[in-house]
Amino acid sequence: MTDSFVLGLSSGSACLATCGMVMFPYFMAGSAGVRRIAIDLFLFLLTRFVIYFILSTLAWYFGQALFSNPVVRNIIPGILYIVFAVMLVWYSISKNRNPNCPAKIVKTVNNKKLVPILLGLVNSLGFCPALFIILTKGATQETLVQSYFAFLAFFIGSSLWFLPLPLAGKIRKKEVLKNIGILATGLAGIIFMIKGLTNLIGGIING
Amino acid sequence: MKKVKIIAGISWAFFCLILIIILFPGLNSFSVSVSKLPFMKLNPRYTGGEIANQIIVESCTLDIRKPVFNGFLKEKNSGFVQLDWHGTIPNTIKDSIDYDHDGNKDFCIFIDRKDSKTILYPINKKVISVLISTPTSYGWAVRVELIK
Amino acid sequence: MDNASKIAGMRKSFGKSLLYTLPMFLITFMFMTGGKPNFADPASGLAILTAFLLVNVLYFFMHYTGKTDRYRAVLFIIFALSLSYTLIHNMLEVRKSMSFSQADILECKIPFCHLVIPMMILPAIFTKSIIFPGSIIGGFANISSMIVLWLVATLVLGRGFCSWGCFYGGWDDGFSRIRKRPVIKKISELWKWMPFAVLIMVTLSAALAMMPTYCSWICPFKAVTEFEQVTSVESVAKAGIFLTLFGGLVVVLPVMTRKRTQCSFLCPLGAINSLSNKITPFTVKIDKKACNECFKCVGVCPLYALTPEDIKAGKVSLFCSKCGKCVDACSTKAIHYGIRGIPAGTMKNFSRNLFLFVSFLFMAVFSAGSIISTFQGLLKLIF
Repeated sequence: MTDSFVLGLSSGSACLATCGMVMFPYFMAGSAGVRRIAIDLFLFLLTRFVIYFILSTLAWYFGQALFSNPVVRNIIPGILYIVFAVMLVWYSISKNRNPNCPAKIVKTVNNKKLVPILLGLVNSLGFCPALFIILTKGATQETLVQSYFAFLAFFIGSSLWFLPLPLAGKIRKKEVLKNIGILATGLAGIIFMIKGLTNLIGGIING
Repeated sequence: MKKVKIIAGISWAFFCLILIIILFPGLNSFSVSVSKLPFMKLNPRYTGGEIANQIIVESCTLDIRKPVFNGFLKEKNSGFVQLDWHGTIPNTIKDSIDYDHDGNKDFCIFIDRKDSKTILYPINKKVISVLISTPTSYGWAVRVELIK
Repeated sequence: MDNASKIAGMRKSFGKSLLYTLPMFLITFMFMTGGKPNFADPASGLAILTAFLLVNVLYFFMHYTGKTDRYRAVLFIIFALSLSYTLIHNMLEVRKSMSFSQADILECKIPFCHLVIPMMILPAIFTKSIIFPGSIIGGFANISSMIVLWLVATLVLGRGFCSWGCFYGGWDDGFSRIRKRPVIKKISELWKWMPFAVLIMVTLSAALAMMPTYCSWICPFKAVTEFEQVTSVESVAKAGIFLTLFGGLVVVLPVMTRKRTQCSFLCPLGAINSLSNKITPFTVKIDKKACNECFKCVGVCPLYALTPEDIKAGKVSLFCSKCGKCVDACSTKAIHYGIRGIPAGTMKNFSRNLFLFVSFLFMAVFSAGSIISTFQGLLKLIF
């Protein structure tokens, strides 16, 4: 659970770094009261939670079907961890980080009540390397409950960054937070790369 | 206001000067004060936990410590129990341990000190493996991995 | 004496420099000898005398030449080398190996190092306990005394601790001085924030794993102090990481960039110390009126603490470790040591004298033990 939480926490910051500019204006919403912001934030996080719950169930069942052999169960996820971790590290060091957030499309929706739900939807389904890593982890857990816990830890870690969103307008040094978040994502990538290598070596030795 | 700032800055600097001068002569007493703070105790994951039971056979004593499952916000699912032998320890140790005090033996442990060989015979399903088995300054110590 | 020192007016006459050195002379004499010099053991007496002369000569020259960094660096580098020597020597003598055993961990005999401090914070708050296999009080490098030393040094010096108190910093400081010109001249600004990312990651991971993860997996200085016995694939991986990071961040990159790259891009304690720069009384100030914007200071800063924008704005960033390199390089006395509250460009000599006394005294006394024991060891080797 520790690594899932850390992954969520680091990728949450990077997610906020790219999508924050779309989300800040909505959540800050000028004259909106605290109650409305709290409800919207709750709906946003609830949508993410539900999506992650569905994804963790699907990932685990896929894992059961695909990784029945104990050696394959180590080697394939090991390779996947390494690939996604490299993507995560690449994201953090690349100068051409894609500034376009899928949440931008939500701006075009007229029904304002649907906006937080749609934001939650695109945010949790924005298939980034971090989500691929947690899907791999969920797929390789012994039990479905363990898969739920892995996703829960990821959800909590990544959600912490969204909690102060309504106060975003008051944060002066957004660029600094963004930089730290991006670097933390790279570090999380390195952690999972080591995990992937450990799985792979363990799988080869056991095989 | 400017003068107040200057005086405050210089006073703060002189206070720091005094602090550095008294730091080393007073280090022992400062350290003792710090060591008395409520959080200044080692986590059971490092100390091995409190001694729960002591078995004395002739001049050899076996301390069975409380199982340790300490985590950050809640207890972890996996932990360990630490066993310490001290006094006059035989070359081969063979003991049956009831770590949870339910009247039933949970595992047997065999240690050959000469060959540094340790074999665990789990009886309880919660007993997993030997984490550490090592000679110490006081005798021999073993940590056995447990799950809840 | 070069022109810059004369312009800066920091240089003092021989007599005046001696007078300024006198308090340091007396205090270091008291600390090193306990007030009662004992020359019964010639090696020990000679080692104390050499260490005593070394620190006082260096301090004298800081006043006499008006230069700070080069004399600070001599003691700082000797401190780092001597601490590693002392630790390794002790370990080889006691354990016949540079690695600590499982028994040392079980018996909580691992020396505490200030780099553990960031990882202690969350567990100390939430579990009211320390997650380190060391001694709370008593014994070598116990947890309480190391916390007191770091706390006071950080309160007084801020990130100055990284150039005047850290017993590891001398390694990359030393390597950064080997080449005259850097091979790598530009590194992205983004990397400056890496210590904060490392701080977040190690603080959280240490709390969740209930172990000092930075020490277990990352610390490059394990390569020159002590590390876990290599008994498994995991411990091989750890040893590989320690050696790679030491080679990369402490040796190769400092040589190539002339910067302290480990301190700039990795150290999580440096991140905390940077934040404490906001409260310390001693700062580095920029007198905008005197500055000719030559940006020599930007080029020489070993910690990427200065940018042309900072100079134009008249303030140094929170990464400044008060090493004095920029102060020494400035030809117009625009950048200088200052005291919080005192406007830039005023009371420069007073501020410098006070800061040098405080910071050098801390380094001299803190390093004395390991320097003396290293000299003793070397003397025994020679004779």
